[in-house]
Amino acid sequence: MLAAALLAAGNAFAQDSVAGADYAAVAGIDSRLAVWIAAQLHLMFAAFVLAVPMFALFIEYLGWRAERTDRVEARRYDWLAHEMASLLPVAYSLTAITGALLGFLLFAAYPKVMRHLTGVFGPTFVVYPLFFIAETLCLYFWYYGWRRWQGDAKWFHIVLGLLLNIFGTIVMFIADAWATYMMTPAGVNESGALVRLYDAVWNPGWMPLNVHRLVANVTFGALLCSAYAAYRLLLSDNARERALYDWMGYTGNLIALFTMLFLPFAGYYFGFELFAFSATYGVTLMGGVLSWLFIIQAIVIAVLFVGAAYYSWLGLLRIPGSEAQQRWSPVFNVLLIAGFAVWATPHTMAASIEESTGGFHPVLGALGVMAPKMIAVTLVLVVLYSSYLLYRRAGRVPVVAWASTGTRVEWGLVGLMALTIASLGVYGYFAPAHIRIKTSIWQIYVLIGGIAVTFALDQALLRGARTIAAVRWGTMPRRGQYVLVLLAAVIVWLMGLMGYARSGARLNWHVFGILEDTSAEAGLPSLGEAALVITLITAVFFALLGVAFAIAGLAHGTDERTLAEISPEAGLRGDTR
Amino acid sequence: MRLREAWRARVPLPTSVVLIVAGVYLALKLVRPVIPGSVILLYMGFVIAGAVIHVTLDDGRIRRFADFFIDASARDPGAIRAQRWALLAVIPLLLGWWVYDALRPSYAPPVEIFQRHPTVGEEVLKRIVVPAWAAEPKAWRPEDVATGKRLYEANCAVCHGEKLDGQGLAAEAFRYPIRPANFTDAGTIAQLTLPYVYWRLNVGGLQNQFNSAMPKWVATADEPDASSLHTNDLAPDEAWRVILYLYRATGFEPRTSEAPAAEHAKH
Repeated sequence: MLAAALLAAGNAFAQDSVAGADYAAVAGIDSRLAVWIAAQLHLMFAAFVLAVPMFALFIEYLGWRAERTDRVEARRYDWLAHEMASLLPVAYSLTAITGALLGFLLFAAYPKVMRHLTGVFGPTFVVYPLFFIAETLCLYFWYYGWRRWQGDAKWFHIVLGLLLNIFGTIVMFIADAWATYMMTPAGVNESGALVRLYDAVWNPGWMPLNVHRLVANVTFGALLCSAYAAYRLLLSDNARERALYDWMGYTGNLIALFTMLFLPFAGYYFGFELFAFSATYGVTLMGGVLSWLFIIQAIVIAVLFVGAAYYSWLGLLRIPGSEAQQRWSPVFNVLLIAGFAVWATPHTMAASIEESTGGFHPVLGALGVMAPKMIAVTLVLVVLYSSYLLYRRAGRVPVVAWASTGTRVEWGLVGLMALTIASLGVYGYFAPAHIRIKTSIWQIYVLIGGIAVTFALDQALLRGARTIAAVRWGTMPRRGQYVLVLLAAVIVWLMGLMGYARSGARLNWHVFGILEDTSAEAGLPSLGEAALVITLITAVFFALLGVAFAIAGLAHGTDERTLAEISPEAGLRGDTR
Repeated sequence: MRLREAWRARVPLPTSVVLIVAGVYLALKLVRPVIPGSVILLYMGFVIAGAVIHVTLDDGRIRRFADFFIDASARDPGAIRAQRWALLAVIPLLLGWWVYDALRPSYAPPVEIFQRHPTVGEEVLKRIVVPAWAAEPKAWRPEDVATGKRLYEANCAVCHGEKLDGQGLAAEAFRYPIRPANFTDAGTIAQLTLPYVYWRLNVGGLQNQFNSAMPKWVATADEPDASSLHTNDLAPDEAWRVILYLYRATGFEPRTSEAPAAEHAKH
């Protein structure tokens, strides 16, 4: 890859002599394809190095706070934060390498685009590296100063981590301005000359993409950390180490699931703004050439949720005496599969001549529209939440006097929540579109409200609960760890898919409506070809990530004494469920 | 509970799994009108994933599943042995058939992924100017809508139906890849802006890549000499009046960029 970067750089300089050329062939490769792969790889590593410090810092902060009440717990959290951060240095180098490759390719193959972007964003090209350097310094001091700034100096270490996050976020926001300007340009006149840089940066798509990427990055980073934990667990033959990595995988998965709940709303906000900018985006993405990507997305999201649910059901196996909870897993499994089958049913079917009924199937067509999909996906979330409630209860006996009534009320409320969501959906199905949109928003309110109330009730119910069987970390079946790796692979692929949708939606424009793509390679690939490229990107990303994992694994190990002190095997005080 | 035990004794886990998977498949196959193979494949993917999850939810189940094949004993009842041999024969045969079926030469045209709303470039839509009298739904004149209705019934209803439900007399003739649009469905004009609907009416489908039987109704500025069955049957203003009627009759409003209804209203 480095060789390719150098080659590209060489070509970039060679092309300077052909001043004014709009496009240049780089080493005989398809420029569009090369930029696609380099950009997506860069984005993935950048997302990782941006996200991991966010939750690693949060976990470190939790450990710091626990210092006064429980030293073992404090050290365990600190270990977890450091373990997650240990992946960063190598990932950071890979971010820089892929970023340089992308930059070289863009300047070499797309001089016209880069001339335009430099004309608009010139000042940001100067500021960007400064923040990047600040982020780099903070990262290396934060990571390599971990041991040094413990105890009384811990606050300084936390501040460093905070600065790292702030600089990282600024770097992403600047890069987002370039990417979103290409989709929803502002601050320039019709011929593309800069009028106001502020407007070009704060273009209509900028803030929605910032929000979407911030949330999605955390989901992505947390799942990759879980995959790392799975990798370390599978390689380890030390019971204490296995216990710690099991706990790490579980925590990463929980963070990912939690943030994943917000992703549809962030995506919707982005889509809303895109459509407001140009109706062409709405048609292209939802009804036109890219609409099938969203059917694929629905299937991939289903795999993600079913995988996460499966992992949580397997998690019950590490809690002795959880048979009562385990009995529900097969029931939830059926509900989840049925729900996702509805969720993924296409409205317009791909059919042969014999099968065709002219687009909509009279029976299944009814499942392909918004109302039943909203019922299905919201109820799936209720099922996932119910699995979590059961997991919290496993191995614990409530001691409050009203335990039995409370449990009945709690599950009654969960049932009522499901019933209300279904009723709203059925009403919405028969109502006009503008009411249907409102009922779907109400379904989300009922879900969030229901979860808030029942979770508060559950907390009260389990206050001081007697633990009859603690979680035996490290005893989860190996297949649970493979699920974590699968989830990481799925999220990487999904990110590649949606990255393609975002970029492809511009169709024949470099900068939508301003700068047209007149290159020979302009044009969208077929769905199958796009899927192959996304799969190739995923494979290359994992190959590189594997190197990062291996290096992180080589660089340090946790010594036996620390393991003995902090391993959850030694008794996990304060149940983290 | 006793019934469950009796069932388990007679029908081991692998047989139950195969029966459920096969049962769902048959049920899907029996639905009429037929469910497209692509959708059945999707559903079966989910069902098989569910079955794998079910079997691997705990170690005991995995053992029961595997032992049925591995831990075979001559002392097993005849019915159990018959099931074992049946599964051992049926599963590879089915997989073999599947491979054969996928690879054998077929003369059917490939299954198409149909796009409900063909993608059109921003530069094309930008050029379509909505007449002032048609731009604002609140200001649409009843006489324009009435003219639109007359024109619709004379030219369009034969395929799209008098009730605008896509059930015109000629609709059955255009079954593949899609029937004439049902404008009362929220997935059609309710999703689109006025310039897009105008573009669709004029560029149509028969003569181009959009794979529909919709003719071109107006000679556009791009192709002043275009001639096909219905080109020039409508003047541009007449086409706009038909569009006004479509929206008024169905009660939908055209989409506008400024106040978008939710994208996800319908796929």
